[in-house]
Amino acid sequence: MTLALDARARTTLPDAASRARHDTAVWQLREKRDAAVGAVPDFEALRTRAAAIKDHALDHLGELLERFEARARAAGAVVHWAPDARALCEIVTSLLRERAVTSVVKSKSMLTEECGLNPWLEAHGFDVVDTDLGERIVQLGKEPPSHLIIPAIHRTRGEIGALFHREIGTPAGESDPERLMAAARRDLRARFLAAQAGISGANFAVAESGSLVLVTNEGNADLGTALPPIHIACLGIEKVIPSLDDAAVFLRLLARSATGQPISAYTTVLTGPHRGGELHIVLVDNGRSRLLAHPERRRVLRCIRCGACLNTCPVYRQAGGHAYRTPVVGPIGAVLAPAIGLPSEDSRTLPYASSLCGSCTAVCPVRIDLHEQLLAWRRDAPALPRGLAWGARVVAALMERPRAWRITTRLVRVAWPLLGVVSRWGGPAAAWRSARELPEHPGASFRERWRQRAARQDVA
Amino acid sequence: MSRVDRASAPGPAALRRSSGARVSMLQAIRSAGSRTVPHPGPHPAPSLDASWATFAGVLAGVGGEPCGPVTRAELSAAALGWARDRAAGGRIVAEPSAAVLLEAAADVEIADASAAPTSFADVAVAIVRGELGVAECGAVAVLGRDAPQRALLFLAERVLLLLPAIRLVADLHRAFSALPADALAHHHLTWISGPSKTADIEQTLVFGAHGPRALAVLGFSEDDDPAASRDADR
Ligand code: SF4
Repeated sequence: MTLALDARARTTLPDAASRARHDTAVWQLREKRDAAVGAVPDFEALRTRAAAIKDHALDHLGELLERFEARARAAGAVVHWAPDARALCEIVTSLLRERAVTSVVKSKSMLTEECGLNPWLEAHGFDVVDTDLGERIVQLGKEPPSHLIIPAIHRTRGEIGALFHREIGTPAGESDPERLMAAARRDLRARFLAAQAGISGANFAVAESGSLVLVTNEGNADLGTALPPIHIACLGIEKVIPSLDDAAVFLRLLARSATGQPISAYTTVLTGPHRGGELHIVLVDNGRSRLLAHPERRRVLRCIRCGACLNTCPVYRQAGGHAYRTPVVGPIGAVLAPAIGLPSEDSRTLPYASSLCGSCTAVCPVRIDLHEQLLAWRRDAPALPRGLAWGARVVAALMERPRAWRITTRLVRVAWPLLGVVSRWGGPAAAWRSARELPEHPGASFRERWRQRAARQDVA
Repeated sequence: MSRVDRASAPGPAALRRSSGARVSMLQAIRSAGSRTVPHPGPHPAPSLDASWATFAGVLAGVGGEPCGPVTRAELSAAALGWARDRAAGGRIVAEPSAAVLLEAAADVEIADASAAPTSFADVAVAIVRGELGVAECGAVAVLGRDAPQRALLFLAERVLLLLPAIRLVADLHRAFSALPADALAHHHLTWISGPSKTADIEQTLVFGAHGPRALAVLGFSEDDDPAASRDADR
């Protein structure tokens, strides 16, 4: 197969051992999720409710955003509107410049990742430090995150130890997670205390009160927004929900779906700036209103970025996040990338990086029909490589002609042993075969076996 | 979804353009919505257990330390004992809302709401009043009113929350409705479930990622509470 993701997967998780390790790590999250979900009697009802609340919010997004803006302003925040990534970057830059800020601490935000805020700020001379441990690891390693909630899940403790040795001076060979964390904590604590501004995302924005909801396990978003005098929160317009009661529904789903925790360690509801400080909230569109205008695709805006669909996806588990080369990876990344129009040509092929098994849909806490969305993208924006597209047309033509189909399948059956040998010789078939065995031929076609079965039943 | 080029220079004062951006964004968003999809209403959560035992079990499961419940008369000694054992001579700081529940002690500072947040960087133990506990997730709500120095909750090595034991609810839905009306009026409302933690290195759980390494919740009964009038005062 010549799809982009397939080729890239080989470089990010280069061997069977690293793939197996990644697969196990990610699957553990899925298992923890299942255990946590099983302990909540109303979990399925919560998912349905969450989906309905999001659908309501998306359908009333204009008025909810205006209400949010009015309440946030009344509480002392300044609200900015950014139609695209460029506007977000410029707003943040001028806020920082006007206040002569040079050092910034940042907590996790997939939106700023999407908009390329870090590289932009660095190119403009700001010192930007990611403070979530996983994000710090990938920042020091100069690579993008590979998972929505565990950004460095593709790295071993040995690799992280070597990185920390090089970058923050831990002893050579140190790979104990506790001691590595302690070193990162010391390094980052000093940066928290010295930072002049904190940039965060937000998990939810509450319209009725103008509040932001920040969820972390490390408490880094809290240190980063409670210590510096300036807090800039960057969020996509789809984050707004009507009320705090609605937040309860999402909070009961979020951590359980993500890591299997009943709730994350810290859930902070911020309303207005802290004493003597400033709070700026930047609402970002960046393609979302286009998605909103599409009656079926708008459902992907329900996403609360829990990562459950990644953890269960057989393709993500084997390929790793870097193979997607999109800010949001996994099944949700594969439907977001072409939907919001990521410029890269091969993001259009991402909807093919799926077995359509539907496991993502089965776990999504806001019931996004992910595999249906992937299928719809294949239909609406076909991007198969020419060879595969041609093959699909041939098969389709044969299937429409029963006689031709019968003859072909009979020929294939005769040639089956030969296929097993020929397909190893080279070309795309050999690449495909490198990790797969050709199954035994059952010896008869489905129609033949069906007829035999019917005959047996007659006798009985 | 476009990523910006790192090479391009920043444009003109972005803030001035913001009002035009606001209008055009809202226009696009409005024309995309039909305003017909109803809100599904509140979630009818089943009534689950809201006992101290359940709360304590879940809290321990997330790495927290449930203590008590003690009587109101025992509270001060229990809290100060916990703090002194762990502070080992280091700074103990109580928020005023917690300090009124404790006997005055020379080694316990009362947090100054107007101090710079960074001045709490070397605190060994912070003592803060919790408002409400949630049995299903071991979380305790801390109100901005009771903890005006939000940074203290995250800078301290260890945090001790004093929670009236009767202020327990089963789930987050009930928790949000049981909060006082001014819960959002004091900058922050923080739900804390166990200590700061991370599993970012090979899924190994480590406590004390950035914030507290330990988080204890000391339950107390409010009978014979001279400070019960506290709520009436407000
Ligand atoms: S699509 Fe669903 S499962 Fe995937 S990250 Fe978003 S909310 Fe979670």
